[in-house]
This record gives sequence, structure tokens and C-alpha cells, in this order.
Amino acid sequence: MVYYITTLLVYGGVDAIACLGLSQQFGIAGVTNFGFIIFQAAGAYAAAVLSLPPDSANGGFQSYIGGLQLPFPLPWIGAAIVGGLLAVPFASIVGKRLRGDFAAVGLLVTAVMFNLLVTNYQPFLNGAAGLSLVPSPLQGSINPLSEGYQWGYAAVAVLLALLTYLFVAHITKSPYGRTLRAMRDNDVVADSLGKNLRSLRTSSLVVGGAIAGLSGGILVGFINLWDPQAWGYAETIVLFAAVIIGGLGNHRGAVLGAILVPLAFEEATRYIPPVPGDPGLIPALQWVVIGLLIVVFLWVRPQGILPERRRVILGAAGGPATAALAAPGASIVDDAALLPAISASAAPLPVRLRAGPYGGAAILECVGLGRSFDGVRAVQDASMSFARARLTGIIGPNGAGKSTLLAMLAGTLRPTEGRISYRGEDITSLPAYRRARTGLVRTFQLASEFKRLTVMENLITAIPGQRGESFRGALLGRRYWGAQERDAVDRAREMLERFGLLELGDRYAGELSGGQRRLVEIMRSLMAEPEVLLLDEPMAGVHPRLAHQIGEQLVSLTHAGLTVIMVEHELSIMDAFCDPVIVMAEGRVLAEGTMSVLRANAEVVEAYLVG
Amino acid sequence: MSGLTPTHPAHGSARMRRARRLLAAALTASAAIAVGLGAAGGSAATAASSTLTVADVAPFTGPDAALGPTYLVSCDAATNAIDKAGGVLGHMLNCKSVDTRGDPADAVPAVRQMYASGAPAFVIGCTSDEAASVVPIFAANKTVSFCMTGQSEFDHVKFPYFFRLVPPDLSESYAMIVIAQQLHYKRIALAFGNDIGSQAFIQPAIQAIKKAGDTLTSNQTLDLSATTFRTEADAIVMSKPQVILTEALGATDAAFLSEVKQLNGGKSIPVIGTSATISPDWFKSVSSSIGASTVASSFWADNLVTESSGTAFDAFKTAIYAEKGKVGQTGDFSTYLTAPGAVHLYDGINLAALAMVESKSTSGSAFAADILKIGDGVPGATVVNTFAQGVAALKAGKQIRFEGPGGPTSFDAYHDSAGLFQVDRYTSNGTVKVTGNISTSAMRALGL
Amino acid sequence: MSLFIASIGFGLITAAVLALAAVGFTLQFAVANVLNLAYGGVMIVSAYAAYVVNEQGVSVWVAALAAIAAGAVISLILNGLVYRPFQRRGTSSAAMVIVALGMTLILVFGTQALAGPTNVSFSMSQGATLQAGSFQLTVAQVAIIVLSLVTMIVVHVVMRYTRLGKAMRATAANRDLARNCGIRTDRVVTLTWLGTGALCGMAGAVFGMDAGTFGATSTDLFLVLILAAVFLGGPGQPYGAMLGALVIGLATEISAAFIVPDYKYVVAFVILLGMLAVRPTGLLGARA
Repeated sequence: MVYYITTLLVYGGVDAIACLGLSQQFGIAGVTNFGFIIFQAAGAYAAAVLSLPPDSANGGFQSYIGGLQLPFPLPWIGAAIVGGLLAVPFASIVGKRLRGDFAAVGLLVTAVMFNLLVTNYQPFLNGAAGLSLVPSPLQGSINPLSEGYQWGYAAVAVLLALLTYLFVAHITKSPYGRTLRAMRDNDVVADSLGKNLRSLRTSSLVVGGAIAGLSGGILVGFINLWDPQAWGYAETIVLFAAVIIGGLGNHRGAVLGAILVPLAFEEATRYIPPVPGDPGLIPALQWVVIGLLIVVFLWVRPQGILPERRRVILGAAGGPATAALAAPGASIVDDAALLPAISASAAPLPVRLRAGPYGGAAILECVGLGRSFDGVRAVQDASMSFARARLTGIIGPNGAGKSTLLAMLAGTLRPTEGRISYRGEDITSLPAYRRARTGLVRTFQLASEFKRLTVMENLITAIPGQRGESFRGALLGRRYWGAQERDAVDRAREMLERFGLLELGDRYAGELSGGQRRLVEIMRSLMAEPEVLLLDEPMAGVHPRLAHQIGEQLVSLTHAGLTVIMVEHELSIMDAFCDPVIVMAEGRVLAEGTMSVLRANAEVVEAYLVG
Repeated sequence: MSGLTPTHPAHGSARMRRARRLLAAALTASAAIAVGLGAAGGSAATAASSTLTVADVAPFTGPDAALGPTYLVSCDAATNAIDKAGGVLGHMLNCKSVDTRGDPADAVPAVRQMYASGAPAFVIGCTSDEAASVVPIFAANKTVSFCMTGQSEFDHVKFPYFFRLVPPDLSESYAMIVIAQQLHYKRIALAFGNDIGSQAFIQPAIQAIKKAGDTLTSNQTLDLSATTFRTEADAIVMSKPQVILTEALGATDAAFLSEVKQLNGGKSIPVIGTSATISPDWFKSVSSSIGASTVASSFWADNLVTESSGTAFDAFKTAIYAEKGKVGQTGDFSTYLTAPGAVHLYDGINLAALAMVESKSTSGSAFAADILKIGDGVPGATVVNTFAQGVAALKAGKQIRFEGPGGPTSFDAYHDSAGLFQVDRYTSNGTVKVTGNISTSAMRALGL
Repeated sequence: MSLFIASIGFGLITAAVLALAAVGFTLQFAVANVLNLAYGGVMIVSAYAAYVVNEQGVSVWVAALAAIAAGAVISLILNGLVYRPFQRRGTSSAAMVIVALGMTLILVFGTQALAGPTNVSFSMSQGATLQAGSFQLTVAQVAIIVLSLVTMIVVHVVMRYTRLGKAMRATAANRDLARNCGIRTDRVVTLTWLGTGALCGMAGAVFGMDAGTFGATSTDLFLVLILAAVFLGGPGQPYGAMLGALVIGLATEISAAFIVPDYKYVVAFVILLGMLAVRPTGLLGARA
């Protein structure tokens, strides 16, 4: 009986550690790593070949690499290292701009392929037979099958699970964790705010991989055997089911899922007496139930049993929580009733601008810029020069290529021809996140808030240069990034106050009405300390009165040195705030000048009537 | 993962949130309770019962799902016969299935749970899929086990409570080459599956082929998760072998051999299989794909020598046939009469039962030594062929040697009893007949 | 050398079965925008449906109709009950993959629970073996190849010349625009699932005929081959799927002839991963 309990404890610990690794990769960073089980397997194999004697021992019936016979705890450390290292090539698969489902399929196939390779290439890891007689840690000094050892092993497994939980909770709490969640919610936007997606994905895969590797090392030391049957892709599905059911984005949920699914569910089916004459029925039904649980949970309660906790930053300091939340489809009129106007203080918005020494007139230029999609030329031969500290507008009929142009300037889209230079330097091949870091910041036309981050978190994420956002910063903890974080919170609060949305600070951004979300996006872009702000239809869905107030604020910011380039439809806004205005039609630049000049231009008028 | 989670506020009064946490806690608690109840139920059972459990520790699910139920047939047969003869020391024997799922990581908790709900008297089954991980646990618990694995690990490592009556894969390979020699085939092709059990045959076969001066025409590994093997089959056919040696369980041999037949102009190439191919399951799949008459005319298998007549055989046959209809989906029942999984486990169970009677104890540490004595026999021992005969002889104060349908045993230092090999063939209705013998000297001549 | 030529013949059979499956799969992706990983599960259930009919003494070629019907019905239910509701909700594409995997478990192991773990085979005669040089194919295998070719032609005709085909292509290219042009996209999607489900059922029956013996989990590996064919040709491109099936079918069998056959499927995996890494839109897809 004791041995069964200790077995359950060890397996529980191992499953919990594995699920925490997956929770970090999938729940926090949003990487659907269907190859996850490979990391656990690699760790188990690594621990095995590090602790086994050379393969000629025991009668030489196995053949494998390694055989270094290292003492405990080196094999376990090796397991974690191998798991982490293996993640690096995986990161390059995930890093490509692949659709989520394509990447998921690629990883799944990789897992199947590795299993096949290890099974069929015998000299590597003894093929299908796997590695047996793997020594248990310290088995020379203590009998591994004694009760004392078993309890000790269970205690170590549970302790390591606890330490793993504390570790992932620690790094998730940091700005690095917040950045991962932002990437999960909307990676394109995170990219445009200066987050290096590739390095984030790599670090999160490496951490998850090392954790999974450790879990493999612990398991193999306990069962003394590891073969390809133990890590088919079915095991990955079970772990995903565990994390989904337990709670995505919540590490406690991951642990709960580990206890419920791989442990309790799989063990509980052993207690069901086999159906006489059909002993395979119950186990087959077990898999059917797991499939059902996955689908039902994703439908009924996708957030899992323990959903991701909302990070409350302002708390009582956010003012009374009485502000009504608009229903998501609220109309513009309701919006106006709900939103207090931007406080009409004479002081400018609390926006920190990049203090650039650039003295030239044209801070951003493009020459001969063009972009084709499937042979359709969305933008052709566009040459523009944007003056510093001005509010330039871009207008044009639908399909004129305005958003495409903006996307190319920001780096979200690659041009097929032409050059872009910023502050005199060619940035045509500079990735979006780098441009954001130098002060070239954009907003998006469609909803692009980080839905499962609070409004405060949305704003704070945009602030560049946070030391807590690197993995190293996360490890160092609050002492390292605490002061900067407090400063960031203050700035965000001030910005919210000025826009009159302080009560909404601790709400999920996804719960806000359309107009409120639009404001959050504008605020967020201002938090990014821009030098040049590229706004893609920022007033869409915003009450005209409010839009006007925003326009005024933008103008005053240009007086302070900010350059704004705004794509818009509303000609009245162009009239009121933009000078100069560029007109585009059918992918080309048609004319440039003030609105009055353009109105007199026959070509422009025709383009609007026809296009 | 946008889109995975609704972004509406938690439908939430504080009461609902508390309810959810309680739910989570309740679920965890009930899981723990389930474990506890199971354990409690188990230990209560051992305290009160006078039934001894024989555990069939084998895969009942997964790719080798056919094995567990097969062993269960012979377990039921043997224990029912023993119970009819009065049981062991006043206890009845009962068979219990423990599903390892064919995977060592699942086998360990399965076995631990088995112990938690009451230690068995002894264990049968343990195949190559999981033996390496569970045998040490049996050893620690001093549980006698009769395993069905030919893995070479068990040729060289001592486990005190481990007994094996099936031949090591190593010697089976040699036996197959001897069969080829008897049939005067010198051009040999190999087609083995890529799982643990089957791969172990290849290297020894290659060595034996070399020693015999034969030619290895082709060596193809069959991926068990694939469904067609045409190119592999064609490669073999084109290499013009006179005989193919094979073991590839599940649907694989069936598909492969039918492709060989088709690519060879409709003629089957002679096939020699390992002892694992002597099973109702194998005959059923292969005969439905290449025809029962083809199997009858061009198939041989090596197998340990088993009796085909005499007291032991008759008792065995009666016991096995009494199980007919009680276990589903296992193909032609008469194949059990020579199937290794049936014969050797039946012998093992009888040996263990008689050992318990002789040592007057049901505890492994006491009766394990008696298994060796009864199996090998001390000089002057009376030969008995059934449990009933053995009990009678012991009562009369005699020393006994048990010879069951598997023939006489001879345990070596590692508790492996290799025995002699024979040549088996199928008739067209699936019954197995013995058509020849393989002498130890012939195997030694190949370098065994 | 002759093994090489023979393996081309075998590759054609594999390609024929694969083409039937891959075209259905890729059309489902094109029109419904979901990577239906439960496709292998639907195939095997359809194969069992044909088996049940075949066991009653019906010729396997007629029993295949049962498979086609089963495939169509199950696919319709799968879409109506599972995929469409999730998609309506805005579930992300990676989450849809997880849902599809869950459905696969239900289909495959549900079948195993009902039919048991042992394998079954169709009662069918392969017919005489036809030989042409080093090519060796049975009549049944030739029939499979012909059936596959005919189906490809039918798909081509439907896609190009019928209203449904044009509506499908429009919906695949841009669903909103298609709806705005008056196409009833919901009906198009439903009809697509019906048609591709029938293809899936046929693929299941043919798979069973080709394999000789099959069990509930036999299509697990086959699904990966389908994915390889689909991604090679370009996800959503039916002609790409046909091309991909041909390449993958030939590649696996030819590599079995030349490299150690243990790794013949690894070739398919490497092709798939290579395409994902280098050109995710496939050979016939447009450049992103």
C-alpha cells in the first residue's frame, strides 16, 4: 500500500512539473507546442545515459550512447539542460510566421518523427527496446526498494514540483511574464510595440523544455526504464487536456490538471473492474472520455477549472468600481454618455517623447515604395516625405492602399519594392519591433488590445526599455525591476486619469466597449514614448466630440515635438487638424497639400467619386 | 491564445467564485478518497479471503492487447483444474488481470496498485513490453513470477523470484536457422517488426546464418504502424530467398505475407516464424489474408517442445477446452494447445501451486526454491503430470518432478529453462501439429 | 533497378489512396478553414462500416457505398455539432486543432471499444496479378488507381464547371466577399462537408482494401502522410493535394527501395517539415 501511495506521489510530482512546463509555454506564452512530450523524453533519455554504465555492462544486451555513470544529481541536471537545449531548434520552427494551426501540426509531426527515428535507429538509444536497468539515484548507498527510499523519492518529487511552481510563478509575475501574455493575446501587436517575439518564444520554449526534461529525469530514476512506447503523441494530448481542464494561464490550474487527468483519471480507471470477455473495453472508453473532456471543456469552460487570475494593480486607488461597463456592441451615443470627456486641463498629456537630436526636416521618408499581393498591386511607387513635428493626414477611398502603406512604414508588412528611411537611416529591412524601439510606433485599424490583460497592463506593456522584460530581469526579481515598475504604474495611472478611464484600469481590456478600446489603443501608443506615431483610423467608432478632443491633444503633442501620421476617413478631422494631407488612390500617391488645396484638385475629387 | 477564452467578466458574484473553488477542492479530494477507498477495500480483501490470486500482468490494451487475454485463458484453465483438485493448502486460486497497457511507465503504477489491493500469490505474463520495469518490483516483494519475455536481459541478470519457461530470443533465432537447414534452404531472408519483442531476433539470426554457411539475401524491418509493405516485400521477393524468417505481430505479418505472395506471382514463399506466431490470433489474421491452405503448406515455426499426447497433455487439453466460449475474440481455440502463452504459463502455475503445497507455505520466499526442485527434480523423484497427481504423491511423502504439457524443465542459474525445440506446423483448420525436432547439438553447431 | 521500377508501381497505389484522402482534406480546409485532424478517424469508421456490410456477403466494391455514406454523415455531424459552433465563437486556429484531436480520440477509440482490439479484413479477391516489365499490380490495385483517377476528374469537373464548384472556390478565397456577392456560404460549407465527407468515406474503404488488414488505430500514421501531401501541394489547393499525394506516395515507396525501409515514412515527415519551414503555402499555393 505504501508503495502505491509513493508511486502516486512521484507520478503526481512528475506530472505536475511537466504540466507546469506546458502551462508556461502554452498558457502563458501561447505557444501550442504539440511536440512537448519530446522534451520530457529527451530529459529521461539524458538522465538514463548519464547514469548508466557503458553499454557493454550487464552482458551488453543494450546499445546506447553515453554511459557515463555519473552520480546523482548530475543526471537530473543533465536532463534539464538537454530538455532546454532541444528547445532551441524547436523555437526556429515556431518562430516562422506560421498560422497557429500549421505550427501546431508541424510540432505534432516532429514528435511522431522523433519517436520513429529513435525506435528504428538502434545504436542511438537502443531502439524499440529502450533503456533498462537505469540506476536509481544513490542506489549504491540506499536500497531503492526500501520504504525509506520510496518516501524520500516521493518527498523529493513533491518538493521539486513545489520549487518548479514557485519558479514559474515568480517569472510570470514579472514584466517578462506580462510580455509573454501580451504575445499570447496578440503577437502582431506585441511585435509592433517593440517586443522581440523570437527571443520571447525561444526563452519560453527553453524554460518549458528544461522543466519537462527535469520531469523526465525524475521519472526514469523511479521506474528504471524508458522506451519509445512511453512517449507517443497520445501522452502530449493527455498533458494538454490536463492544462486545459485545470486552467489555462494559471499555474495552480496546471497542477490541479496534472492531479486530475494523468493521475486521478488514469488511475481511477484501474479500479473499474474489467468487463468480462472484453477486457479492452474500459481502457478504450477511457480515451473516448478524455477526448470528450477536451471538447466539452473547451466549449463549456475554456478557461478551465481555475481560470487565469486577473492582475489587479490599482485596486482601491482606481476609484469607485461603479463605472458601468458597456455591452460590447454599444453604440456611439451610449459611448458618449459613459465616457467623461478627456479632462480639459490646460496641461498637455503626460506623454514622454523621444528626445531625438534629429534636426532634419523630413524625419520619415519613403521612396518608390510598393507592395503586391498575389499579383494585385496594393501600393505602387509611393514616395512621401513626412515633416517632423507635424500632423500629416493620409486619406483616400477604400482600397487605396493607405493601411498597407502604414503597415510597411511600421514594419508589419514587407515592401516588395522601394526604400524607407527614418531619421536619415535606411530601415527598409529593419523588423517591426526594432522600429518600435527606436520610436516609430503604430496603432491598428481593427481591435488590437490585449484582451486578457487589464487596461493598466495594456498601457504598461507599451513602455519601452523595461528591465524586467528580459528573462534575466525576471529571474532577478522585484528588487531589480520594482522601482521601474512603480514608475510605470504611476505613468499609466496618470494617462488613464487624463483620458477619464481610471475606473476601468483593472478591467480586462477585452471587456470594454468599442470606443473605450479605441482610446486604450491610443493611450497605449502614447505610452510607447513615440517619436513618430502612425495612427490607422484612430477615430473609427469614436464619438465625434471625443474624436475632436483627441485631435486637439495630438496637435498639442506635435508642438512638443511628436510627429504624427494619421490615416483617416473623416474629412472633417482632416480639415481640423491635419496639415499637410496626402491623398492616395489605387495604390498611388495622388496629391499632397492642405485640405482646401486638395478640394480644388479635380483629380482628387474624381478619385473620391469614382474610387 | 486569443479566442480561446471568453472575455466576459466572470459571471460572478463572490458566491459563485467560492463555489468554483470548492468544486476544485472537492474534485481533488474525491480523487484522493477514491485512492484511499480502493486501498482500504483491497487490504480488507486480503485479510478476510481464503482465495489466492494469480495475477496476469500483461498488456490488455495498446498494440499488444491480444496478449493479456490469451494468458488469461490458460490462467483460468490451470486454476480451475487446481481448484477442482482441492486447491492449494485449502485455498482456491483465482485469476486477476492487471493491465500494463504495454508501456513500462504505465506498468509500474499498475503493479503497485495491484500490491496495494492485496499481494498476489504469484504472477504470470509480464511480456517484453514491461518486464524490465516490473520484475524488479516483483523481486523486491518476493513475488514469484513466470514471465513471457525472451529479452536477453534476463539471460544475464539474476532475479531471485523470476522464472522463465519460454526460450530466449537468442536461441529461437538459432532454432529457426536449424529448421531452415533441415528443409535444405540456404538462401534466407529476414522480415521482423520494429518493436522490442521482434527486433531481438535479428542479430543472432545473422550470426547463425553466417555460421551455417547460408546466404542472407535480404533483411527488411517492418514498421508496425504502417499498413502496407509492398516495397519491402518486393525487395525480399527480388532477392530470391528460399525461405523468410519472420515475427511481426498484429496486422503486419498478415499484410506483408499477402503482398509477398502477390508479388511472387501468386506463390507463397516458405515462411519460418518464431514461437510467438503459434497463437490463434496470428493464424486467424494470416490465414484470412493468404488463405488457410497456404499457411498449412508453407509455414513452419520453432517452438519449445510440448507434449501432444499422454497424461499431461490430456489434462491440459481438458482444462483448456473447458474455457472455450468464456473468453471472446481469440480465434481458433485449438491453437492454444501448443501456444507458448498457454502451455508454459499453465506449467508455471502448476509448478508454483505444487511448490506451495510442498513447502506448506504461500509466501514466495518459502516456495521459490521448491519450484526449482519440482521443476528439475531431485534424483529419484516421482514424475507427476497433473496437480492432483502431485498432491497425492507429496501426501505419500514422495519427492516429485512435474512434467506438464511443456515437457520436462531444466532451470539454469538465471532461472531460465530453455528446453528442447520442436518444429510446428498448422493444419488448414488452425490446429497445430508437431513435425520434427531440433536437437541441442544442431543448435550448438551454429555457435549457440 | 527493377525494384526501383516496381516501387514506382507501389508508389502509384499509395498515391491513389492518398490522393482520395488528401483532396477531401484540403477542400475542407479551403472552404471551412479548419485542419480537420479527425479525418483519419472518420476514414477508419467508414472502413468499418464497409466491413460490416462486406461481412454480410456483399462485394467489397458495393460495400464501399456504405463507407461513402458513413463518411458523409459523420463529417456533416462533425461540422454541424463541433467545428461550426467553435468557429462561430471565434476560437483560434490552434485551439481548433486541439478540438480536432479530441474528436479523433472519440472516433478512433469509440470504434475500438465497439469492434475490439483485433484486426479485421475485407473478404475480397485481389484478382490476377498483371505484369508489365517490372510493374506488378493486381486487378484490384489497378481498379483502385482507376477509381482514384476518375474521382480526381470528377472533382476537377465539379470545381471548375459547376455552380457549386465556383461557389466553393469563391467561399474559399474570401468568404465575406462571397457572401456579399449573394452566395449562400453556409449552404456551400455544408455541401462541401457532405462531398468531402463522401470522399473521406471512399478513402477509408480504399485504404482498407489496400491494407488488407486494419484496426481502429491503423490510420494514425496515414494521417501524417495526408498532411504531408496537403502541405506539399499547398493547403487548400485540390490540385496541389493531388500533386502532393503523387510525390509523397512515390517518395515513400522509392525511398524504401533505396534507403533502409525503416525510415520510409521519415522521408514524408521531412518533406512536410521542410515545406512548413520554407514555403508554407505549398508548391501550388500563392506566395504569402
